[in-house]
Amino acid sequence: MSSNINNKITGIGQILRKDWQLYLLLAPMVIWFIVFLYTPMAGLQIAFKDFSLFKGIYGSTWVGFEHFQTLFNDELFIRSIGNTFLISLYSLVFAFPMPIILALMFNELHHAMFKKTAQTIAYLPHFISVVIVAGMVVSFLSPTTGIVNLVLDYFGFEKTYFLTNPDYFRPIFIGSTMWKEAGFESIVYLAAIAGVNPSLYESARVDGASRWQQIWRITLPSILPTIIIMLIIRIGNLVEVGFEYIILLYQPATFETSDVISTFIYRVGLQGSQYDIATAAGLFNAVIAFILVYSANRISRKLSSSSLW
Amino acid sequence: MNSANVTLSVSNVSLKKVYKRYGSTEIVKGIDLEIGAHEFVVLVGPSGCGKSTTLRMIAGLEEISDGTVSIGERVVNKIPPKDRDVAMVFQNYALYPHLSVAENIAFGLKLRKTPKDRVKAAVDEASSILSLDPYLERKPSDLSGGQRQRVAMGRAIVRHPKVFLFDEPLSNLDAKLRTQMRAEIKRLHKRLQVTTVYVTHDQVEAMTLADRIVIMRDGKIEQIGTPMDVFLHPANTFVASFIGSPPMNLLDGKIRKSDGKVAIELNDGCIVPVPHKDGMSFTDGQEVRVGFRPEDLDVVVNDQNHTAPMNCSVDLVEPLGSEALLHLQIAGQSAVAKTTSHGRSSDMSGIANTTQVFGNLKHLHIFDRASEQSIY
Repeated sequence: MSSNINNKITGIGQILRKDWQLYLLLAPMVIWFIVFLYTPMAGLQIAFKDFSLFKGIYGSTWVGFEHFQTLFNDELFIRSIGNTFLISLYSLVFAFPMPIILALMFNELHHAMFKKTAQTIAYLPHFISVVIVAGMVVSFLSPTTGIVNLVLDYFGFEKTYFLTNPDYFRPIFIGSTMWKEAGFESIVYLAAIAGVNPSLYESARVDGASRWQQIWRITLPSILPTIIIMLIIRIGNLVEVGFEYIILLYQPATFETSDVISTFIYRVGLQGSQYDIATAAGLFNAVIAFILVYSANRISRKLSSSSLW
Repeated sequence: MNSANVTLSVSNVSLKKVYKRYGSTEIVKGIDLEIGAHEFVVLVGPSGCGKSTTLRMIAGLEEISDGTVSIGERVVNKIPPKDRDVAMVFQNYALYPHLSVAENIAFGLKLRKTPKDRVKAAVDEASSILSLDPYLERKPSDLSGGQRQRVAMGRAIVRHPKVFLFDEPLSNLDAKLRTQMRAEIKRLHKRLQVTTVYVTHDQVEAMTLADRIVIMRDGKIEQIGTPMDVFLHPANTFVASFIGSPPMNLLDGKIRKSDGKVAIELNDGCIVPVPHKDGMSFTDGQEVRVGFRPEDLDVVVNDQNHTAPMNCSVDLVEPLGSEALLHLQIAGQSAVAKTTSHGRSSDMSGIANTTQVFGNLKHLHIFDRASEQSIY
């Protein structure tokens, strides 16, 4: 038994010695993961403790699932779960297909100059900081000087303070996120489209496929594995919804539709100093994310034989 | 292949003064070609000679810069590929990777909204002709190269097109499979009798498959003829050295006329007599190239009356079993002789020491050196 273990250790030693340069390159990333992602996980225990700053993480007393019970009895938390779910669902339905459609449209452009210009214009918003985008949205939608309201006013409609109306929050949030990211995200799909064998299109043309049929029957099925991988990643991030962007856009008047789990954690934990409850909410968030990404991967592997792992 | 029966309506194809230009570069330079209904025509030539471009213009995948292409009675210059009633088989098969073999074969029919039962019947028919029955549910990635090429042909035949177009369909296959598939294509044509235009750079494929061969160079047609016609009567030195394996030996020389007799003096002073033919005309001192096919050069004399002895030295002997290839130097120029005179003996020393080869004057070719055209 012990000789077996010794053999294994010698084996690992030999592998490390043989490819030490590769392991050296890998080391910084491993260290980063350990220091910044795995070590802080020890702090997750405060989700099950009555955390006191004076007693510290390890000194605080265990309380079991008490914080979770508190959370699930809190209407605001339940509301934030619902909001997270709805914003994610809408963005999955509206924002996820957008880069694919955009990539297909770029691919149909044949005038080189026009194509490049269109692509550049579509990519640019990605490089604008989210703070500036939020600032732009706020000023465009301003009830007094915002261009949207000025146009509405010009055509005789009533001015609206969009950002204080809970009904408008989700469309504004998802619409502006799409404007910012759809172009840049389309690059992945454009790369996938570029990888499709051109003779498939020629063959389809001879077989009688119209432009539309070529997109539907060749391009889309050919980039389906890429779409699925992107979808899995997206589903894994479902509960993450653009935290900073929501913080920048929301206000108490729209909490009803805009307060999501991550903003709830921020307010309760950092502003309200209830670290233990916030950690419990964060842990819940992480567990849901893990279940989502794991299930999406399983389903995708079964249905389409493409998967992340 | 089994004996399923397919009858198809076919068309002739006609190219008149067809040009293809990319900017100022001319790829195809005004070719004229008439392809009869049921005919199997092979376009052959070195890389970049414009043969694939010509085929793609017939398919409608390339625009025609000038001239007209007609299929049947119809000029198709402005007609999109799908309405030309042609089917094309590509070098890399161009199978749709996400569809099964059956779906690949049915693709063109489904696009045309053919009723399901007719699609199924057509797929069954094609798969039985091409022995694809066991593979119908598989994806292309699970097939061998030869099977993939058969699927590509199946996709072409179910549409019952008027013209088949093949773009180097066997280039991605290994040598053995290529021979097999060559025979299958020939059998398929014999059975379906569909007008076929086939592009290849392999002259063996051209010789074995074609009713007529079209030899192209630099966007122009050098010669059109039956395989034996272009082999026996090459129109110029390009065709002579392109068709035949190994290619024809071409030796520089000058015409010498005396006493009404014509002969050619090679660079080393060797004399090759030119047997009389009606209508032959040479001028004394004319610079020519003498052509002997490797099989018309031998180390032994076969026919005393029709032989031109030439001095040579042997560089290399390549035994091929029943034959041997002798790489020679004749009058300072490289030449190859194909001989059976070693009598299948493993001892090559006899022919390796040869100092004289004999050209068969019955199969002598003479080309003008300046114009490269055949003059005898």
